[in-house]
This record gives sequence, C-alpha cells and structure tokens, in this order.
Amino acid sequence: MTGVGADRSSGSTGSTGEGERADRPSRIADILASVGAPVFYVLSTVGDVFKTFGLAVYYTFRGKKRWDEVINQCYQIGNRSLVFITVVMAFLGMILIFQSGLQVKRITGDFSQMGAVYLPLLIRQFSPIIGALMIATRVGTGIAAEIGSMVVTEQVDALRMNATQPVKYLIVPRFIAGIFMTLVLVVYSTLVSFLAGMLTAHVYFEVPYDTFWDISLVRWADLLIGVTKTLCFGMAIPVVSGQAGLAAFGGSEGVGWATTAAVVNSSLAVIMLDFVVGGVGFMVFPTN
Amino acid sequence: MIRVAHVTKYRGRQAVLKDVSFEIPAGASLALIGPGGCGKTLLTKIIGGLVRPDQGEVWVDGQEITRLSEIELTRVRFKIGMLFQNYALFDFMDVGDNIAFPLRQEGKLDEEEIASQVEAILKEVDLPGIERLQVNELSGGMKRRVTFARAVIRRPPILVYDDPTAGLDPVTSSKIFILLDRLQRQGATTSITISHDLVGLRSICTKWAMLVAGEVVFFGTSEEIERSPTKVVRQFWMGESDEV
Ligand SMILES: Nc1ncnc2c1ncn2[C@@H]1O[C@H](COP(=O)(O)OP(=O)(O)OP(=O)(O)O)[C@@H](O)[C@H]1O
Ligand SMILES: [Mg+2]
Repeated sequence: MTGVGADRSSGSTGSTGEGERADRPSRIADILASVGAPVFYVLSTVGDVFKTFGLAVYYTFRGKKRWDEVINQCYQIGNRSLVFITVVMAFLGMILIFQSGLQVKRITGDFSQMGAVYLPLLIRQFSPIIGALMIATRVGTGIAAEIGSMVVTEQVDALRMNATQPVKYLIVPRFIAGIFMTLVLVVYSTLVSFLAGMLTAHVYFEVPYDTFWDISLVRWADLLIGVTKTLCFGMAIPVVSGQAGLAAFGGSEGVGWATTAAVVNSSLAVIMLDFVVGGVGFMVFPTN
Repeated sequence: MIRVAHVTKYRGRQAVLKDVSFEIPAGASLALIGPGGCGKTLLTKIIGGLVRPDQGEVWVDGQEITRLSEIELTRVRFKIGMLFQNYALFDFMDVGDNIAFPLRQEGKLDEEEIASQVEAILKEVDLPGIERLQVNELSGGMKRRVTFARAVIRRPPILVYDDPTAGLDPVTSSKIFILLDRLQRQGATTSITISHDLVGLRSICTKWAMLVAGEVVFFGTSEEIERSPTKVVRQFWMGESDEV
C-alpha cells in the first residue's frame, strides 16, 4: 500500500493547508504582492501574446492548414463587421469633410485640394486605425468569446488530449483569415469613407466629383505605410483576442472577462502598432 | 504504467492535492473514489498533462511528464483516452465528427474506415445512426455516451473515465460498465475510473484509491477496501454518514 495513513483523514480540513505556504505574512509582503500582481499579470499577458504570435506564425508556415476553416473565418469576419464598418466609415467621411470644409470656407474658400489631401490621410492613417479598432471590437470579441467558452467547457482540454495544439487548431485559421480580411476591410473602409466624403463635399460645398477624386497627392510611401499598418493590425487582433480567449478560466464570467480583455488589449495593440509603424514610416519616408 | 509521486497542487494558498502517491501497474484498472470536490478530476487532469502540479512527479508509460512541453506531451497524450466529466464535446461539430476527431488527428485511417468505426461504436453505446445530430440536440445521457465513444475510439493503452455513467439510467449504466470491462480485457488497457457507482466499479476495477480533501486515505485491492478499518473509507463504502 502507498500513501495511506488512517488518522490523517479525519480533521484534515483547516489547519494543514496554511502552515506550508504562507509562513510569515508581513505587511511588506502584502504590499509587494498587491503591486506585484498587476505588474506580473501585464508582463505575463504580454509574454503570452508574443508566445502565441510566435506559435501562430510557426504553424502558419508549418503543417496542414484547415483551409475550410480559414474560409469560414473570412466569412465570419466579413459578415460580422461589414455593416458596422460601412456605417461608421461613411459617417466618419461625412463628418471629416464637413468640418474641414467649414474651415476651408472660412479661410481660403478653395475646395480644389480637398479630396487630394483627404485621400492620403485616409490611406495612411484613418482607415487602417479606425477600421482595425472596429474589427477589434466586432471580431476580437467574437474570437475571445468562442475560444473562451471552449476553454471553460473543457473543449480545449479535449483538443489537447487529442494531441492537438489549440494555437494551431483554433488561432491559426483566425490569424490567416484576420490578416486577409483586415486588408480587404480596410481597403473597403477607405473607399466608403472617400465616397461619403466626396458626396458630402458635393452636397454642401458644391465640389465637383472629378475635382474631389484626385489621387495626385498619394505617394507610394503612403500606400506602403497604410498596408504595413493594416497587416500588423490584422495579425495583432486575432492573436491578442485568441490569447485572451485561451487565458479564460472559471465559468461564463470568465468568458465575459476574456471578451473585455480582448477588446481592450487588441485596441491597445492597434494603437501602439500604429504609433510604431507610423513613427518608423515617418523616419524612412520624411516630408509632410 | 502510471506512477504518481508526491503530487501536490495548490489553489491559491490552499492545497487541493496533498502529497498524492500511488502506482497503477500496466493492465490494472483503478477505481478512484472520494467525496465531491476532493480532487479526483484534478488528479486525472494532472495525469493527462493538462494541469501541472506544483510539486511531485507523474510517470506515464515510463516517462516523467510534469516538465514536458506541450509538443512533447502530444506523444504521451496519444496513449491516453479521456472521458471528461463535463462532456467537453466540440459544439462546432456534429456527433460523428466529434467521435471521429481522435482518429482524424491520429491520421492513420482513411475516411471510409473512420466512418465505419464511428458507426460501430455508436451501435455499441446504443445510439445507432446519430452521426449527423448536433451536440446541442443531445440529452445529457446521450452526450455521456458520445464522450465515451470519443474517448475509446482509438483504443489507446490508457483510458481515463471521469464519471462515465453519471446521469445514465441503470440499464445503460451497467451496459457502459460491461463495455468498459470488455475494453479492459481486449486491449489490456490500464484504466482509471472515477465514479460514485461502487457496484459498477466493483465489477471492473482491481485496484482502489480513495481521496478525501486531496489526500489519499486508501490505496489497495477490492478485498482490502472492504475490510478497511479506516472510518472514512468504511463510511464511504457502506454509504453511511455521521449525522442522524
Ligand atoms: N487547475 C486547477 N488548479 C488548482 N486547483 C484546481 C484546479 N482545477 C480544480 N481545482 C480545485 O480542485 C478541487 C477539486 O476539484 P475536482 O473537480 O478535482 O473535484 P472532484 O473530486 O472531481 O469532485 P466531483 O466528484 O464533484 O467531480 C476544487 O476545489 C477545485 O477548485
Ligand atoms: Mg470531478
């Protein structure tokens, strides 16, 4: 017989647990713990995100892909965000052009450059970041909720017991679909916003369509920066949200936390990446 | 075959498994019993490498697994079939794909063979022809049997059943125990069965381990547990309680 001990069983509740671990709980230790815990949480989350990213990239190039799932995810992403993006980007286009139109009217009254200036701004800055933030809220929450509920219902454990890597099986299809669809949706966002701006300029300031439709100020650098940002966002959102889902624990409350973490963290990631890529872009391609 | 040595796991500051040690020889079937919340499920998860213990070692088929990476663990996990207490069925797949999943991941059989195996196992658990049903269309008892089918379809050398008959009617329960027994004999599997159905367990298990509040209070054979002098063990075995 191994590890028996008749007398240990009775009265084993209570005292045994404490003596072993928390020997001398001091004030300082408590304070350190309360400061340390959030710091540790942030650091370990960042670490997990990078680890997940590494694995996602690795499995994107290695091993069999679930292409049917990739296509399904593309459809899901498009389906979830198309209406949302259309509405938001159209309003954004209208508001930006209306407001700047009012200023132009007060100062120079020359509307000829409006579309030409607006387009590079859209390509380089507005549509990647606004589009990505919307995808983060709409798609990121979906990813975290799906994966999170799989974690708390032990489906992820069942995957692992069947020798399946959760990152490979669940995140990689969303990663590939995320990169592709973010690009598609950001291009679409640019178009919607530009057209909405064009219409607004025409209605309020009588700018002819062909005057507004002016691509002369768009540099290759703008396109490059815009596309680079978009690709980074497309990679970040599924990875950050997927990681939030995988980190879920507890019950449905845990899934709630995971979805919140997904939006917050992927929005943060998008903004930081925007700053970094924008900064590097500015250093490589100066002017303006 | 499976050796657990001094496994301890904390939840916060409280130890939920305390210095758990036992060994299951190859081909043996262990009944893991104990009151609710004593750490049975957690222990099986540690044996499957799903949860890492804070202390102690776990040997599965001659390999120490507590320090293996996820990728290294995949080779160990191919040897284990696990029936989860909470079903853990994939809700984005139908029943057939759920049961076929372990075979597809293993990648040894073609689709035709997989389909015929799925059909056969569904017949064995008395649910013929439900391959195309969705998981959320099943009753609790049906889910239990589908999880059972998924756990055993690959005929792995180690099987872990966490409450395989919970929520099943007596007839289906005894049928499941007969199936367990047959699998045990056919494949010379090593198994761990968690259940509160002591009668059913007695029909299939050769070794018994009892956990109370994360501690092993009994480990031994069927004869030994029947005669155990320990109060908690005897009470659990006879279904008695202190209160009147
Ligand atoms: N990953 C984990 N880390 C630490 N503690 C855990 C973990 N998972 C579960 N526990 C704790 O372990 C304890 C035992 O839970 P477990 O599910 O193993 O009980 P059980 O014996 O299976 O009960 P039941 O018979 O009701 O199924 C619980 O208090 C739970 O909070
Ligand atoms: Mg349990």
